[in-house]
Amino acid sequence: MFVRSFLGKCCFRMNVPSHNFHSSSQCFEIQKLTRLRVVDNSEIGKQAMAEGKPPRCIHVYNKTGVGRIGDKVLVAIKGEKKKGILVGLKQNQKTKVPKFDSNNIVLIDDNGSPLGTRIHVPIPTILRTILKEKTQAKGADYTKLLGIASRFV
Amino acid sequence: MFQSSLKMCVRLSSTSREGLRRISSSIKPVGAHSVRSKPDSLKQEILEYRHVYPEFLPDPKFEFRNSVREKLERNDMIARRQNIDIPEFYVGSIMAVESSDPHTPGKTHRFVGICIQRGGCGLRAHFTLRNVIDHQGVEVQYEMYDPTIHKVDVLKLEKRLDDELLYLRDALPEYSTFDPNMEPEILSEGTSVPVNTIKVKLKPKPWLERWERKNLQGVQDLELDEKFYKKAEEVATPWEKYDLMKEYMRTIPVEEQTEIYGELQTKLQKLNAQGKKMKRKRVFVKPTKLA
Amino acid sequence: MEHFAKENGRRRNLLFCTLWLSMALLSTNFSKNCFKILEDAFLKLSATYTSPQIRDRHVLNPKPRLRNPTWFIRKQRAETDEKLTPENEGFIKEVVQDKYNQTQPVEAISNVEWTPNLQRTGLIARKIGIYPLWKKDGKKIQTTLLQVLDNHVIRYYPPEEYNPPRKRPGRIYNKKACLLMGAEAADPSTFTKEYCGIFKQSGVIPKKTLGRFFVSPNAALPLGTLVNAMHFQVGNAVDVRGKTTDRGFQGVMKRHGFKGMPASHGVTKTHRRGGNIGGGGEKGRVWPGTKMPGHMGNRYRVAKGLKILRINTSHNVLYVSGQAIPGETNSIVYIYDTKLPLRKPVNPLPLPTYLGDVDENVPENIYDESIHSFSDPTVVYDESK
Repeated sequence: MFVRSFLGKCCFRMNVPSHNFHSSSQCFEIQKLTRLRVVDNSEIGKQAMAEGKPPRCIHVYNKTGVGRIGDKVLVAIKGEKKKGILVGLKQNQKTKVPKFDSNNIVLIDDNGSPLGTRIHVPIPTILRTILKEKTQAKGADYTKLLGIASRFV
Repeated sequence: MFQSSLKMCVRLSSTSREGLRRISSSIKPVGAHSVRSKPDSLKQEILEYRHVYPEFLPDPKFEFRNSVREKLERNDMIARRQNIDIPEFYVGSIMAVESSDPHTPGKTHRFVGICIQRGGCGLRAHFTLRNVIDHQGVEVQYEMYDPTIHKVDVLKLEKRLDDELLYLRDALPEYSTFDPNMEPEILSEGTSVPVNTIKVKLKPKPWLERWERKNLQGVQDLELDEKFYKKAEEVATPWEKYDLMKEYMRTIPVEEQTEIYGELQTKLQKLNAQGKKMKRKRVFVKPTKLA
Repeated sequence: MEHFAKENGRRRNLLFCTLWLSMALLSTNFSKNCFKILEDAFLKLSATYTSPQIRDRHVLNPKPRLRNPTWFIRKQRAETDEKLTPENEGFIKEVVQDKYNQTQPVEAISNVEWTPNLQRTGLIARKIGIYPLWKKDGKKIQTTLLQVLDNHVIRYYPPEEYNPPRKRPGRIYNKKACLLMGAEAADPSTFTKEYCGIFKQSGVIPKKTLGRFFVSPNAALPLGTLVNAMHFQVGNAVDVRGKTTDRGFQGVMKRHGFKGMPASHGVTKTHRRGGNIGGGGEKGRVWPGTKMPGHMGNRYRVAKGLKILRINTSHNVLYVSGQAIPGETNSIVYIYDTKLPLRKPVNPLPLPTYLGDVDENVPENIYDESIHSFSDPTVVYDESK
């Protein structure tokens, strides 16, 4: 009985027209609880994406709390906390900066070196400058990420 | 067939053009004097420019207009066009833009894609290219008079059924996938620009916008419930295209257009001749580059 | 008391005297002379009368504290149908042309050596719009176009003569002279006679707009001098004063950028209101200067330290950095050399103004060194840099 009613509810949920919950994606800002897409070939990232459980942003490491291109974010992925760099945004960008159809991240560790060995989508060239600026002398080196990129746009 | 849209405020639909001419001639009969004396064929030729070079028309917003500013702006645009050939293109054309990139000094960056949007007046004119690269949709917006742009190539000159192709974001990826190494298709001279009547299939909902309300022509059946179409019909404003005052507010009167393009005509013709020469040169050079 | 009594007595005596006199004179034939005597007598009478208390004195029209400058005169003439024949109209035009065709200033302009302390005159300009320029490094920058109008020197007030409408407390050292500039020549027949009188001294055709500029006496210009956009130099900073867009009576959210109050959660009737305006207790009143709803815009504001990026000499247009210059498009603005101490010019400026001719030797467009000219080739980023 319980199971049936639950199923029924589930089915009902599936059929609910989209205007009942927030479906407007006009505001493509990356903030806490935004779903992101892992675009490198790290094991954990691949698994999470394959299971249909894309990571959630749980913190943006900047002063505004809104993620811009090249910002570091903390994500919850498969029950773990990992850091990532935003490498492509749905948000409107300045001229000559590409705008992507999904919000892409590349997972990194605390030293800034990526967890995967290859990025399988294009990466904006502006990241070369941004990541160079963010890398401090004795801190994490984010520019390693650029080495595993397959293509720049 | 062009329908007027808010952003591309310069286009006039053929039905409302008559009405508009009536209004503007009744309001400003003085400005039309010099124009009327010209032969009709020449006038038509001048008026054709508004489709090819729409950005030369100023912003029709009355409170921002100033004749001196507009003239200076046009002079600057011509000056830039003498350095770079910006060819005729439309929403729906496939283009390649080569620009110098400050992030990779010493190199130029090339992006190929379909033009999904075009807008802005004067030096602010811009267009957006879209392509799917490595299964990832990418869009880049370029300013037409940006001095970092080296070359604008039109690989395939065509129009689509709509003024804006923003629905390609919600369409299946094959409709916006284009080969970056595409060979340019050259139209023989004198042929009119072909209209691609392809009907695009959209992905199922959720979408970025309610496309059923946009009166899109280049889209296959949306496969929605009846109620969506009903609602779309309710909120539609089909009478707006008959609103002559609105049309007048968002367009530049025909007389003024002829005046502007009449001034520019000799310069544009010279530029065109120059561009053709350059094109011939490029065609000759190309095989050596590839080899 | 004694004094009052004495004075009263004298006054009475005088009164009697005058009465007697007038009676006597009335009996004889009137003459101008008689009236004069009578008048003098009455004058004396009035002069001797002083009120016992000053606060009793009632002044009907007290002297205004703020006096308008002398050139604030009614400008527009009431329009009347003159019923002129076309020939007469043409004749009037000819007369106007003949009268105001003198273009050269009366005196020769002397070139003065520039020092940083000298203050030059400003200019009257029109804001004609905004459009982008690109820098040589490929960055876009928004510029406002200011078209310098036909600026003529109308009047000059030396420091000792200039009587400011509002007196400052304390002594002013280094008092500046004042130049009155006019812009936008117009048909003199639309102006009042008094307004046209302002322009008599300089011989310039009456102008629609007037502007007052303080100058060092050394940097003064002779009357009737025409000043053009070359008065300013590319790369220097200017201050621009204009009247902001009139927005009418506005609430606190628009006028002062308040946040307003929540849209829901039990909030009723206060969504765009300011909320509390004062404390209680000792401060139980509304403090002066509290931000409240009121009229917004339509007041003069100065945008300071704007860099001149480009000058078009043929149309007299200055391209000034920034897009937030007060005023709507096609409104009048006043341009001054900047007051900001860190943006003062380093190289000498043309003083008192640019004296050369604007001819073929002067390039049509003068660019700042950082700005990319549209006729320059495409920007390329060098690898070595």
